[in-house]
Amino acid sequence: MLAALGRFVVRQPLGAAGALVVLALVAVAVLAPRLAPHGPKETGFAPYVAPSAEFPMGTDQVGRDVLSRVIWGARLSLYVGLASVVLGITLGSLWGVATAYFGGAADAGSQRVVDSLMALPPIILALSLMAALGQSVTNVILALTILLTPTAARTVRSVALGVAAAPYVEAARATGGSNWRIIRRHVIPNCMASYIVLMTTNVSYAIVVEASLSFLGAGAPPDEPSWGGMLTAGVQALETAPWMVFFPGLAISLAVFGLNLLGDSIRDLTDPRLRGGLG
Amino acid sequence: MTTSLIARILAVSLLLTTAASAQEKPRQGGILNWFDYGDPGRLDVHAESPLVVQQATAGVYSGLLHYDPEEPAKVIGDLAERWTVSPDGKTYTFHLRKGVKWHDGQPFSSADVKATFDRILNPDFKSPKCGASLKPIVASVEAVDPNTVTFQLKFPAAPFVPSLASAWCRIAAKHVLAKYGDLNAPEAQIGTGPFKFKKYERGSVIEWERNPSYFIPGLPYLDGVKQFILVGGPTQLAAAKASKVMLWDAWPPMRKTQADELRRARDDVEIYQAPINTIFLIYLNARKPPFNNPDLRRAVNLAIDRQELVAKSLEGAGVPCAILDPKLVGDFALPLEEVAKTPGCRQPKDQDLAEAKRLVEKHHPGGLDIEVGLRSVGNYADRAQLVVSQLRKVGIRGTLKTHESAAGFAAWGKGDFTMIATQDRSMDVNDPSGIFHIVYTTEAGSNYGRLSDAKVDELAERALREGNRDRRKQLYWELQRHILGRADTASIPVGWVEGWFFLDKRLRNYKHGVTTYDNNTFMKVWLAQ
Repeated sequence: MLAALGRFVVRQPLGAAGALVVLALVAVAVLAPRLAPHGPKETGFAPYVAPSAEFPMGTDQVGRDVLSRVIWGARLSLYVGLASVVLGITLGSLWGVATAYFGGAADAGSQRVVDSLMALPPIILALSLMAALGQSVTNVILALTILLTPTAARTVRSVALGVAAAPYVEAARATGGSNWRIIRRHVIPNCMASYIVLMTTNVSYAIVVEASLSFLGAGAPPDEPSWGGMLTAGVQALETAPWMVFFPGLAISLAVFGLNLLGDSIRDLTDPRLRGGLG
Repeated sequence: MTTSLIARILAVSLLLTTAASAQEKPRQGGILNWFDYGDPGRLDVHAESPLVVQQATAGVYSGLLHYDPEEPAKVIGDLAERWTVSPDGKTYTFHLRKGVKWHDGQPFSSADVKATFDRILNPDFKSPKCGASLKPIVASVEAVDPNTVTFQLKFPAAPFVPSLASAWCRIAAKHVLAKYGDLNAPEAQIGTGPFKFKKYERGSVIEWERNPSYFIPGLPYLDGVKQFILVGGPTQLAAAKASKVMLWDAWPPMRKTQADELRRARDDVEIYQAPINTIFLIYLNARKPPFNNPDLRRAVNLAIDRQELVAKSLEGAGVPCAILDPKLVGDFALPLEEVAKTPGCRQPKDQDLAEAKRLVEKHHPGGLDIEVGLRSVGNYADRAQLVVSQLRKVGIRGTLKTHESAAGFAAWGKGDFTMIATQDRSMDVNDPSGIFHIVYTTEAGSNYGRLSDAKVDELAERALREGNRDRRKQLYWELQRHILGRADTASIPVGWVEGWFFLDKRLRNYKHGVTTYDNNTFMKVWLAQ
């Protein structure tokens, strides 16, 4: 295990750095109640206090500790990112596998739906969905799920089309295997690499979209400790309290950077043309 | 008009009127760039109440009376050349200007005045501003001849003239009302004002152009006014810093940090602090659970820390707790020392918070979850976060729901909310009656919480009818004590809003209005080169 980890660090140093950042992010998110010195919504302090020993990242416009909100923001970002990716990529992948396997009119029809959804600019689609659904963290996840599903469906379908036509699948059919059994035992396992890559590469995307929605005032409600929402508040006092923008901005950049590095590395490892293997 | 407010307006006017402008000759031409905080959507000045509706149409219409653009505290004739009052104070006769034409060329007459006020005073017509002020006072309006109109009052009422002069009581054309049914469409914006309505691009810009046939020869000086629709503090401040707007005179005022930022960015503007006759309120829906329960309304009243809200969200520029602001209405306002001792306002908050918590636990042992609405304008999001944070201390967990500006007003008007975290209401007139007839009486246009209190209605009406100033003052004090003492009002007065404004130094002859709605026609404003 340690040896494999060592080889990973040597062969994928950037991926290892990304993994380290992601691990730190997860740790901060999980330990937020212990790490944050104050509640993320606690407004009992003076507003616009510059970074100091008492408030290492300063306070915001209503007197909340920015450090505590950045810490709790990691939990919100990770929660929204992971939940929407798990839901969106899983649903999209299942959709892609099913339509590729069965083909015919259902496949053609469903792909036109995918075309329609992918034709809309993602942020416009997300904004429209939020306008229709209303402002809440759950609805942000729902909107992101709807945003991610077609991409996953299209990507996984392209892989599943090849798998469904493979000789071992034909053999399974010839031996009388049911569609459900063939999909479960043969098609899905052979699409897992794409699924995993989609999962890892889209968490950062989901975090950025969540932050963008909150920045535009259409994401999480304003009192939730969303990094994007914190940026919006910070922009209103850019000259007076630049720390309100700097720290959440830094958090978004670090999280996205780490997740992208890790995602790229996992993609390389699962791509037969690129991987050198860890074994 | 109180001495204190006159003094303030004079001080601001003095600041804004440079010695140079007094000697300069007005210059014709130029476009004034201004802004609206949101998109009005609807334009019917009689039926709507948002400031943006007023701003969008201000220069297009004239009133029977208006506040003097050069002496904003003084009421003068606009379409009325002069007026007389009967000895019993109940009949006002207005003599109209002759030869006035509507923007479409039709002649103006007393029939238009009658049609306007028949519409506004119709009991079935919801007129939250002009109607709310005049319905309790005016019995009927008659056109005596084409150039004379009489108003028959139900009783002699001091607020009648200032109410009639309000920018919400604009005169609309009878033929336009007959053709369009209302004044919402851009095509229906046909007035007699100094500017013609030129263009309305939703969410983008509103433009007026000079009315060459304006009834005062030589006016207006400007070729037009362009109002950019700028939503959100950062956008408004960015436009101001980039010299895209020449004037910031209306709601929302700048906060001190914004004013300081602008001061650093531009040296060609005058920045000044002023009150805008506007109160910051929190509304509870008294017709729906949970706030149909007076105990829970009382809990919220006790939990809200007005001083913290004013200190943080207005950066201290405001008067917390008061129903009437002594700076605006003088001694009609309950002394602030007395206000500071009332439930919900008194500091420290320990006793009130304990009582609020007890009341919440009595009815909701596990705490109470509510949806808290707000409009996405000004710094309402900051205020709402503070309100929700304060309520959490007594077991009320609020989830914020943000509405686009016009959609929010529509929801409030329909009673489609549980609690409104923050809503500013500006007074139409500088008279103590304003707040009660706008917010607190049963029929008040902005009584969004729909709380009906017979004692408030009775005292407000008695005060309105009272001719003796001292007795009137005592009635208003009793009203304030009643509302503040009960501490279960559905319209919680957080504080009177003050703030910072600016005008471009090239702008001449502009005077800040007594209310945020008045003196926005720009009929005598001009631009120096």
